[in-house]
Amino acid sequence: MTAVIETRNLSKWYGNVLGLSDVSLGIEPGITGLLGPNGAGKSTFMKLLTGQLKPNIGSVSILGRRIWNHFDAFAKIGFCPESDAFYEEISGWEFLTGLLSFYGFSKAEIRARAEKALDIVNLTGDKDRKIRGYSRGMRQRIKFAQAIGHDPEIIILDEPLSGLDPLGKRKLIHLIKDYRDQGRTILVSSHVLPEIEAMTSRIILIHQGKILAQGDIHYVRDLIETHPHVISIKCGDARGLAAKFVNEPYVLKIHFGPDGDSLVVETHKRDAFFGRLNQVVLESALRVEEITSPDDNLQAVFDYLVGK
Amino acid sequence: MSLEVRDLHFSYGKITALDGVNLKLEGGAAGLLGPNGAGKSTLLRILLGFLTPAKGDGKVLGYDIRHQRPLIRRSVGYMPEDDCFIAGLDAVSFTAYFGELSGMPRQEAMKRAHEVLFYVGLGEARYRLLDTYSAGMKQRLKLAQALVHDPKLLFLDEPTAGLDPHGRQEVLELIKDISSAKDIHVLISSHILADIETICSDVVILNKGKVAAQGKLQDLRSIDYSLFELKVMGNESLFRQELESLGCRVDETEDRILKVYMPAERDRLEIFRAASASGVQVRHFVKSRTSLEDLFARTVGVD
Amino acid sequence: MATIREKGYSHWDGALVERKFPWWPITRTGIQLAFRRKHFKFFFSVSFLPAVVFLVGIYISERIEDFKFMIKDSENFIKINPAFFKTYFTNDFLLFMMVMLLVFSGAGLIADDLKHNALQLYFSRPIGKKDYFLGKAAVIFFFILALTLVPGLVLFFMKLVFSGNFKLLTGYPWLLPAIIGFSALLTVFFAFYTLLLSALSKNRRYVTILIFAIYVFSDVVYGITFGIFRSPYVALFSLKASFQQAGAVIFGQRLPYAYPGYLSFLVLFGICAVSAAVLHRRIRGIEVIE
Repeated sequence: MTAVIETRNLSKWYGNVLGLSDVSLGIEPGITGLLGPNGAGKSTFMKLLTGQLKPNIGSVSILGRRIWNHFDAFAKIGFCPESDAFYEEISGWEFLTGLLSFYGFSKAEIRARAEKALDIVNLTGDKDRKIRGYSRGMRQRIKFAQAIGHDPEIIILDEPLSGLDPLGKRKLIHLIKDYRDQGRTILVSSHVLPEIEAMTSRIILIHQGKILAQGDIHYVRDLIETHPHVISIKCGDARGLAAKFVNEPYVLKIHFGPDGDSLVVETHKRDAFFGRLNQVVLESALRVEEITSPDDNLQAVFDYLVGK
Repeated sequence: MSLEVRDLHFSYGKITALDGVNLKLEGGAAGLLGPNGAGKSTLLRILLGFLTPAKGDGKVLGYDIRHQRPLIRRSVGYMPEDDCFIAGLDAVSFTAYFGELSGMPRQEAMKRAHEVLFYVGLGEARYRLLDTYSAGMKQRLKLAQALVHDPKLLFLDEPTAGLDPHGRQEVLELIKDISSAKDIHVLISSHILADIETICSDVVILNKGKVAAQGKLQDLRSIDYSLFELKVMGNESLFRQELESLGCRVDETEDRILKVYMPAERDRLEIFRAASASGVQVRHFVKSRTSLEDLFARTVGVD
Repeated sequence: MATIREKGYSHWDGALVERKFPWWPITRTGIQLAFRRKHFKFFFSVSFLPAVVFLVGIYISERIEDFKFMIKDSENFIKINPAFFKTYFTNDFLLFMMVMLLVFSGAGLIADDLKHNALQLYFSRPIGKKDYFLGKAAVIFFFILALTLVPGLVLFFMKLVFSGNFKLLTGYPWLLPAIIGFSALLTVFFAFYTLLLSALSKNRRYVTILIFAIYVFSDVVYGITFGIFRSPYVALFSLKASFQQAGAVIFGQRLPYAYPGYLSFLVLFGICAVSAAVLHRRIRGIEVIE
């Protein structure tokens, strides 16, 4: 699949403060999560992608064309920023139609698109209220509406779920997945890792201006050799189970959980381990309560790669 | 009983915020959930002794919520959602100041401020001016001022808001540590369900000014029938066929999780047998529970 | 035998105290913050200039013989009487410096708490609204009293010391109460004035401008309207004029403006009342907002 967004040796700094250093990657259609600690360069990266900043070195190309100063390309991108910078005195409707007018649509089309966008985010009833009277969740939704109003192929979202209650989050995630199913390219940045996990397993991890990891989270986890895989098993006879693995060379560590009926195993060779585990379960008719991989998730990958 | 309220009512002018709230909470950590506008902040304010309810009564830590509000405020720590600090002060002065206002003698407040700042991870930065603090540090500072007077009840409003993944992790661990000290009760209001699942043993769901659900998280989420979540490596379709021939129903969700509904008379070992027969490895095996999100959606009714 | 300290949260085993003045930490912190402001110490010192000058004046008045060679008409030169004190208390420079100090110590008193959302931290403590306001007001009390009551008493006392007799006290028995009374008037008025303005905005700079502007502008308005209407009553527009008028009344001197003195008192108390009402409503509004 060809990359929709492509960066080559992308670097940006502010005076002598580093923003981004030598980033070359491609983002394909679908949902990609963007994560990193504060100050890592995420906002710089997003601003470069949306053409708000000019790279010091390198380039950003969208659908094959460089975007710096190519305003027509902006019509294909929708951006929902994290910050709340609104003109408080205008209504939601005015805000939305005002922004849509930049894309060169006819008046009728602007109206139609604005109505559709408001309907999608459920703000039709409040469209004539001044933004000053909007609650936090409503502001978030109107921001999202302006990001999708012009039907962009590429949608870039910075902390889109903040301020929404759990149902609002669920709706928005559903919406984002709909857009993915339509073939669009969506980049979502968030600090709340479980929320990214709910949307996608493809991530880009930035730290100190560099890309630490990119790809499917499970494959990324596989690549981290310094941390063997951790597998937790809850069963009726933890020690008995442990005894079956003590002699296996691919088991690096075994320790027992605090509750007494679980054991935690570390291994580099998951294939061998699981093969044997499945065998043992049947052989000993073990009453298995739970088998989980507690560190096969985004938080663990983040901790291992970024360090504490 | 650390907290008990009966039939609380409160309105801001014409807007009804609380419409008959009954609540009983004991020790440990409880999560307070609800859509925006459900009345969470109002309930918190009444429990904090900020507001007097229009109708209804109750006790917080044994003190009456109408007549003993200052006494409640002595033993309660509040970590607000918004950013709040005092410009021109350093962390130690700030924390000690609020300790004093809670009634601590000056020297004790100072001593305790240092302790608490180390505890929340601001030890190195405690002499710096608050104006120089990052968002994550300000969040911890809020927690510090809530803890300085050693409250028996702690209200945390969106404690991980604005924190990066490390920050979230650390604050959640702090809260877990605090709530495991068995004599501090913690009430957390948050929209991040993953956080509530990690820390809380009880949950209260508010909707439209009433309590829509309340109870132990474990109980509210347990399902009576046998539903298992599996992840396997190998020939999935063959595996599914095997299971279906046993009378199980198999669904596949996002992220390649298989949901297996097993008839009551079957043993879970049969899943492993089926796996062996179709040459797949079972790599993830969990008895399913309702997700907190589904519980929330079901209780609040909308959608 | 050995002990170790467990990591993790530890309890505090002290006891909470009931303070006689629960608002005292607020005042102490407010004063500290004022002193930390840039240039504050400079302005604070400069505002004692009139006190120093008047103190020297008292010294000279007693030692008139030594300075006879400098002065021609020594008898009428410096008389230490209520007029002397009234001149100190209502001199333009001192009043202006007090307004300056209000800016440093008072502009941010409530405005900063509004801006940084600190009110919810205060009110989740067992202190009431009254304590909060009293604590904040006491910061202003401190600085204004330092410029009025303290120098007033020092000047009074030093006159007694230098002259070696109690003539000042017996000659003008109401002078001491007048000093205290006028100091109290200025102090209370400025506290209400500053707190009102500080509670109206979240931005300390706006409040700074307001504190100055209202004081200066009130005088300008007086000047302009006097030019047009030539009525002495327009002096009621000017805050400075009201202070001077009230000061003259309290110290029993000739009124500088040709209208009944009690009107100035009414203006000043009126402003205090308005301020109290607005403050009450403003803080309640914040407590209750979603």
